[in-house]
Amino acid sequence: MEAHLPETPYMTTQHAGLEKEIRYVTKPFEVKHIRSLFEGTDPIMHEIAFNLISGDQVEVDRLTREALARGFEANAVLDDGLIAGMAVVGIKFRDNIIFVPEVLIAARAMKAGMAYIEPILSESGVEPVGTVIMGTVKGDLHDIGKNLCIMMLRGAGFVVHDLGVDTKPEEFIDAVLEHGAQVLGMSALLTTTMPNMGRAIEAFEAEGLREEVSIMVGGAPVTQEFAEDMGADGYGKDAIACVDMARALVGVRDGSAPLETAAGAREASS
Amino acid sequence: MSPIHHAGRELDSAAGMTIFDYADSLSVRVPTSCGRSGECHECIVEVRSGMEGLTPPTESERFLRGGYRLACQAAVAEVDADVEFAVLRRQPRILTRSVRRRTAPAPLTERRGSGVYFGEERVDAYRDGIYGLAVDVGTTTVALNVVDLERAEVVHTASFENPQRFGGSDVMHRISYDGGEHSGELRRVMLSAINFEVGEVCRRLGIHRRRIYEAVFVGNSTMRDIVFGVDVQSIGEKPYKSLTEVELEAGERSTTALEVRARDLDLRIFPGANVYSPPLVGCHVGSDVTADLMAVGMNEQDDAVMLVDVGTNTEVVVGNRLRMMAASCPAGPAFEGGAITYGMPGYDGAVEAVGLSEDGAPVRYETIGGAPAEGICGSGLVDLLSELRRTGRMNELGAFNDGAGEFYFAPDRDMYVSRADLSALAQAKSANFCGQWIVLRRYGITPEEVSRLYLAGGFANYVDAGHAVSIGFIANVPEERVAKVGNASLEGATIMLTSGRAREAAEELVRRIEHVELETAPDFFDIFVEGCMFKPMQMPRASTGAAAP
Ligand code: B12
Ligand code: FES
Repeated sequence: MEAHLPETPYMTTQHAGLEKEIRYVTKPFEVKHIRSLFEGTDPIMHEIAFNLISGDQVEVDRLTREALARGFEANAVLDDGLIAGMAVVGIKFRDNIIFVPEVLIAARAMKAGMAYIEPILSESGVEPVGTVIMGTVKGDLHDIGKNLCIMMLRGAGFVVHDLGVDTKPEEFIDAVLEHGAQVLGMSALLTTTMPNMGRAIEAFEAEGLREEVSIMVGGAPVTQEFAEDMGADGYGKDAIACVDMARALVGVRDGSAPLETAAGAREASS
Repeated sequence: MSPIHHAGRELDSAAGMTIFDYADSLSVRVPTSCGRSGECHECIVEVRSGMEGLTPPTESERFLRGGYRLACQAAVAEVDADVEFAVLRRQPRILTRSVRRRTAPAPLTERRGSGVYFGEERVDAYRDGIYGLAVDVGTTTVALNVVDLERAEVVHTASFENPQRFGGSDVMHRISYDGGEHSGELRRVMLSAINFEVGEVCRRLGIHRRRIYEAVFVGNSTMRDIVFGVDVQSIGEKPYKSLTEVELEAGERSTTALEVRARDLDLRIFPGANVYSPPLVGCHVGSDVTADLMAVGMNEQDDAVMLVDVGTNTEVVVGNRLRMMAASCPAGPAFEGGAITYGMPGYDGAVEAVGLSEDGAPVRYETIGGAPAEGICGSGLVDLLSELRRTGRMNELGAFNDGAGEFYFAPDRDMYVSRADLSALAQAKSANFCGQWIVLRRYGITPEEVSRLYLAGGFANYVDAGHAVSIGFIANVPEERVAKVGNASLEGATIMLTSGRAREAAEELVRRIEHVELETAPDFFDIFVEGCMFKPMQMPRASTGAAAP
């Protein structure tokens, strides 16, 4: 595998393992983005990111504690260590370099770090890309895929409010209003609960709130066709497509990107 | 002119000829009972390619979805299209053996003098024999035994592909199909297929189908209820209960067992024959598992044993005769031939065993029936995964250590497993793993304390137990404690066919089973991630104990 990787013009980190991982990122604008995440940050962040990418939860656990003990802000550990690592995982997953089991161990490692960070997290100063509400629909208890989407969304700079599983339409509506979210993402894993997505969308319509929020849907039984039929604005087949879709939908709402971009994101990810 | 393909053979196509005509020319038997008029719905075939070259679906085909057609209706319209079709696979296998019995036979139907009696009721004049039918209706495969009830002897075993595939590969799809505009169609095609197979078997055995005086059907809750015409919608929604279970809880019935007459079921055996289905364990865990438990003699076990019935939905039961816990693990069809590039169920031509060597020597593989490889089935996949790990070609996460994107298990036939396949297998395996892990933990024992692990299910008999343990497909119990019991559901159904006492014991048993909802495990995610790895199951001793969640 290594032989196929392009030589990088420069290194951002002193971490050989992480440098090797970064070389899996090949699209020029992504290389630039990923490098910027690691540029000038402390070596311990590189260490955290690398262990997250490798899925070593024991090391991520230890290093997160160590970083906090050394006085780094929770936000810094989250953004520069965990989320920066997750960004690389996302790209490797999209490009079929890694598959679900590898993403899952990375997610487990992230969870290990988050256990220390979450309780002490303060509002980050960084301007979020957008606010997203995520939840699994009523009657459905599958959340592994939805949680991966959330991690990737956070990795891409979104603020995400997670409503968990078995979410009723009213709960979606309340959360969208409360947080002024631009995007709502719904997940369903069962053929029999998929129609509940359509019902939730109808509930937004009934309340006259459909225009207030863009709605994206996903989960194994969902297809582009179903998504269109139920009146969703977008569909994503995996966590990466979810991030692309969320970006495109926020762009549409801001007026900063035309609708075609949303369609483009859909194409690029399918 | 382009060819019509079927199972590697081909014919030239001619406009107007139906698929049924081609099947005739190839001497391939397609079920029918309506004179090819589009009414019996028995002749369903899968069109794998060239659908656009066929005449559009007729009115009688409206219930079919995706790549399925009625052979008698679909005709060639464009002679230039390459059409490939496949008929439902069947595997007739004749064998005569005694019912493996733990309870002495106590037949409900017997000969008394010149009469055939069901209990105290004289149902017919005795002619030339009393037979019974045991059927295991699986989501993927249907298996049946014809039993000589006077001798308590199985005289014929057969299996065929579940014809409901056009309604989706798993029970949830079938439930939503059945809730749609073609409600009842799944039941109809299933009974047609069973009637056809029974006819074939009787022809072979030289007996009249009316000599079958009794039948026992088992299946997961959805499959069973569809056969009996019970509305299955409640099984598709929380709390996933059969209508019979809902009624039991409401005090409207005393058991979830069902009993009807053959004529009311459209089952073409003796019209007054009693058709019985044992009680369900609960939720998705159906009467097939009740039958499993009878087959392994759970009602006599003093030490804790474990039953793992692998399939699209794997069922796990841990316990002894006094206390049992059961769970259903939604593995999906990856080990049954679905969702994998070259996956197939265990029919002729399926790779069922694979051996690799460290030195790069060619792959050794065996197929069912010694036929040229057509795909790989569950036991072949378990072997392959275990061998890829043993020879260091693949890491625990299903990535090839040489960075390759696939591995050719049958290079001569250009067949491989891809990384995406391995990812799907990891998740299916993990569902099985989670079920076993969580039920063991709830019960409060470790794999070492399991005195016997009964491995049941379609391909269970062909699985190498050591390999299954090495990838964490089954709990890490010493290999000699693994007992392969094959199609235990069919065995259990057969036991209940020959014994009224066994039916009573089954009623007793299901009342002692506690249903475990896997989703209530707070650390499900961590267990699922652990289970995605191809390595032996390691249960930390410390985390067990009855008090654990
Ligand atoms: C794990 C699992 C469970 C666990 C769930 C635990 C949990 N906390 O999530 C448990 C054991 C509890 C469970 C229970 C059941 N399950 Co289940 N389960 C699975 C399993 C094995 C894996 C699902 C999974 O997590 N995959 C991994 C993740 C990463 O993939 P994913 O969810 O598809 O998510 C990705 C994309 O879909 C997408 N995505 C997801 N959400 C969203 C949202 C948006 C907005 C976007 C853009 C994208 C997106 O991005 C994700 C990451 O790439 C599948 C079978 C399989 N092998 O896939 C069955 C499966 C989903 N279950 C199934 C069934 C039937 C059930 C039960 C009804 C079974 C039962 N016997 O009781 C119950 C129902 C419980 C309930 N009320 O929901 C069936 C569904 C069949 C169908 N056609 O509907 C499946 C397919 C298995 C099968 N074929 O039989 N299950
Ligand atoms: S033969 Fe009866 S429907 Fe085709």
